[in-house]
Amino acid sequence: MSANLSMFLRIVADSFGRRPRHKLLTGAALALGMGVVTAALSVSLDVGDRLAKEFRSLGANLVVTPQADSLPLEIGGVDYRPVNAGAYLPEADLPKLKTIFWHNNIVAFAPILEVRAKALPFAHGGGQLGNWMEGVPIVGTWADNALPLPDGGEFQAGIAKTNPWWQVDGRWFSDHTMECVVGAAFAKKNHIKIGDSISLATGYVTKIPAPLKITGILTSGGPEDEAIVVPLTRAQSFARKPGQYRKLYVSALTKPEDAFAKRDPKSFTPAEYDRWFCTPYISSIAFQIQQALPGTDVRVIRKVAEGERQILTRVRMLLWLVTGAALLAAALAVGASSAASVIERRTEIGLMKALGAGSGTVGFLLAAEQLLLAFVGGGAGYAIGIVLARLLGERIFGAAPEPSLIVFFVIIALAAGVTILGSAFPLRRASQYEPAPILRGE
Amino acid sequence: MAGSRATNKAMFWRIIRRLLGANRGRLFVILLGLGAGAAVTAALLNLQVDAKRRLTTEFRAFGPNVLILPKGSSAASSETLPESTVHLVPVNLPSGRVAVSSTLYMVASVFVPQSGKSLAAVVAGSNPLAFQTASVLSSSGPEASLNEPTPSPGQLCVAGARVAKQMGFQQDTELVLASGDSRESCRVASFRQTGGPEDDRVEIGLRAAQRLANLPDCISAIELIVPGTPGEIQSYIADLQRLLPDVDVRPIRQFTEGQAKIYNRISGLLTATVAIVLLLTGLCVMAAMTNVAMERKVDVGLMKAIGGSMRRVLRLFLAEAALLGLAGGIIGAAAGIFLSIGLGKAVFGVAARPRLIVYPVAVALTVIVAILSAFPLRRLASIRPASVFRGEA
Repeated sequence: MSANLSMFLRIVADSFGRRPRHKLLTGAALALGMGVVTAALSVSLDVGDRLAKEFRSLGANLVVTPQADSLPLEIGGVDYRPVNAGAYLPEADLPKLKTIFWHNNIVAFAPILEVRAKALPFAHGGGQLGNWMEGVPIVGTWADNALPLPDGGEFQAGIAKTNPWWQVDGRWFSDHTMECVVGAAFAKKNHIKIGDSISLATGYVTKIPAPLKITGILTSGGPEDEAIVVPLTRAQSFARKPGQYRKLYVSALTKPEDAFAKRDPKSFTPAEYDRWFCTPYISSIAFQIQQALPGTDVRVIRKVAEGERQILTRVRMLLWLVTGAALLAAALAVGASSAASVIERRTEIGLMKALGAGSGTVGFLLAAEQLLLAFVGGGAGYAIGIVLARLLGERIFGAAPEPSLIVFFVIIALAAGVTILGSAFPLRRASQYEPAPILRGE
Repeated sequence: MAGSRATNKAMFWRIIRRLLGANRGRLFVILLGLGAGAAVTAALLNLQVDAKRRLTTEFRAFGPNVLILPKGSSAASSETLPESTVHLVPVNLPSGRVAVSSTLYMVASVFVPQSGKSLAAVVAGSNPLAFQTASVLSSSGPEASLNEPTPSPGQLCVAGARVAKQMGFQQDTELVLASGDSRESCRVASFRQTGGPEDDRVEIGLRAAQRLANLPDCISAIELIVPGTPGEIQSYIADLQRLLPDVDVRPIRQFTEGQAKIYNRISGLLTATVAIVLLLTGLCVMAAMTNVAMERKVDVGLMKAIGGSMRRVLRLFLAEAALLGLAGGIIGAAAGIFLSIGLGKAVFGVAARPRLIVYPVAVALTVIVAILSAFPLRRLASIRPASVFRGEA
C-alpha cells in the first residue's frame, strides 16, 4: 500500500518535473481565469455598500415631523403657516438618534426651524445697505455641529452632510455663533458680499439688534437661494421657541427593500419581526427612529429611497451577471486547457495501461495531477484577483474591498470543479484507449 | 511559375485542412475556448453600451430634475406662467422623451361634506394628474382613469397621506375645495405618500384648479424629467433657457448633481469590470491556445525535415490560428449577442438592443487573440527536426 502510494506520488512529481512549461501554461490559464473571478466576486460583494454610500449624496431619505403637527401650507419649499401654528420637537432628544440599533447606519441628520423675519443688511465697513426687508425666510439649522452623545462620544451632524449638493462660497457658519450664510439669489438682489453683515428681527423693532456676520453665499438650486440660513439657536430665539425644531432630515445607509420588507410589519411572525428589525431596511430604521423620538412621525422620502432601491438593485444584478459571464468564460478556458493537457498525454496513458494499470488508476492519477494544479493555480489566481479588486476598488470608490475568506474557498472549489469537469471527458476517452495502437504510434 | 504558385496554394490549403481535421477532439476544445471568449466579449460589449443608456432612464425614478419657473420669482411670490409655455418645451431628445408636467399651486380650504370637517391645505392642479405614478400608493385606485391626459373636470383627485390622516377621509370620499367664490368638488381616487410636500397636498386636474383660483391658462411651474447623461441634461437646460428667455429654467440640483456623481461611479465600475474581464478572457484563451500550439512540435519538425522554410511553416500555423479564431468568433459572438439580449431583459426588464458594430469587433478581437496565441510557435524555429524524431525534446 505504501509502495503504491509512493509510486503514485513519484509519477505525479515526475509529470510536473518533466514538463514544467506545460504545467506552467495550464496553471497560468487557471490562475488568470480564477483571478478575474476573484476580482469580480470581491467587487460584487462590496459594491452594494459602496454605492449605498454614494447614494447619500442625494441627501436625506427620512424626514421626521411632529405627530401632532397641523397641516403645513408649503408651496415651493416655503411654509405659509404662522409661527404659532403647529407643533415642535425638542432638540435635546436628538442625541438619542445615535442610540438606536442601526445607529452606525445613520450618517447624517439636521434639524430645521423655519421662521420669517425682518432683515437689514450692512456693508463690510458698517454702512447700511438699503432698508428693513419684511418677511425674509430664515432657515435655522446646524452646519456641522459637534453633538455630544449619551455614550460619551461626539457626532458631527448638520446640513452640510445631509444636503451635500448645497454649495457654499466662502465657508459655512460656525454653530452657536453670530454668523450666517445667505442664499445666492437673495445676496444678488441686495448686493450682499461675503464679509458683510445682516441684522434680523421679529416683531416691533425698537433698537437694531446685533448683526450676524455673513460667512458664505449658498447655492442650493432650491428655495433656500432666497433665504438666510442661520445657526439653529438664532432661529429659535427669533421664533421664541428655545430648544425646539420643526423638521428633521436624516440620511441613513439602507439595504434596498425587497418583497419581504414591503410587507406590513404588523403581519410578521416574531421570527420575521426580528429579521426585519435586524436588517437595515429603510422601514425598520424609520420605525426605530420613531421609537427613539416619541411623538414624531417618521416618513420615508420615497423619491430618494425608491430611486436608490431601483438603481442599486439593477446595478447589483448587472455586476452579478458580469461576474457570472467572467466565471463562465474562465471555466470554459480552464476546462479547455485542462482537456488539452490530457489529450496530449495519450502515449503516456497507453504506456501505463500496457504496464497493467486499470482505467480507474489512470483516471485517478491524472485527476490527482489536475487537482494539484487546480489548487496551486486557484491560490495564485486568488492572490492576483485580490490585487485586481484592490486596484479597481481604489480607482472607482477610493476604498479597497476587504479580502474575504469565503471568496477564497469558492475560488478553490471552483478551480477544482472546473479542471475536473474539463478533464473528465478526455479522461473517459483515454480510459477506453487500446494501449497497443497508441504505443505503435498510430 | 504561375503554375507552381497555384500548386503551392493548393498544397497550403490542403495542409491546413488536414491540420484542422486531424484531431476532432482538439478542434472542439480550441473552438470551445475561442467561442466562449468571443461570446463573453460580445455579450459584455453589447450590454455595456446598452446598460449606460438604460441607467440614465432608471434615474427617472428620482422624479423631476428640471424646473421651469416664472422669471425672477422667489418661491414665495404668486407669479404665474402662461400655460402655452408648455408647448414650447422640446420633448424629443436623442436620449429619450422628456416627461412634462405643469402645475398650479394655491391654498384653498378643503371641506369634507360627509364629516363636516374643513381645513386649509395646499391644492395643486396638475396636468397630467399624478405625475410621479411610481410614488403613488395605489390603494386599488382606478389607475387607468388616472393616466388620462385630461381628467374630466373636478372628478378625481389624489390626496396626500397626511391630509387624509388629518381629515380622516377614505378612498372615494367626496371633497369640496373652495377658494374665494369658486368651488370644485372631487372624488378621492387614491392616496399618495412620498415623504415630501406632496403628502400635505390635494392634487386635482389643472383645469379645475385654474377655475378654482380664477386664473385661466395660468400655471405656477413646469416640472420636467429629462433623460440622458449629466452632460446631456446640462446642455438641455442651457438650450431651454435660450429658447425661453422669459422664464427661469433651474436644475433641481439635489438630483442633477447626485445623478452625475452616481452615474460616473457606476459607468466607471462597468467599464473597468468589463475591460478587466475582456483582458483576462483574452489571456485565458491565449493560454489555452498556446498549450495546444506547443504540441505541434512534431508537425513542425516533419515540415522542416522535408524542406519547409520556417517562414512558410509559421505562415501555415498562423493561417490555421486565424481560421480557428474566425470560426470561434463568428459562432461565439453570435451566441454572445443573444446572451446579452437575455441578460438585458433580466436586468432592466427590456431586451438589450443588439448593436451590429459589436459583432465585427468581437470577431476581430477573437481572431487577433488567436493569432497572438499562435506566436509562441516562433520559438519552434530553433527545433532541430532530428531530435524531434528521435523523441528527445
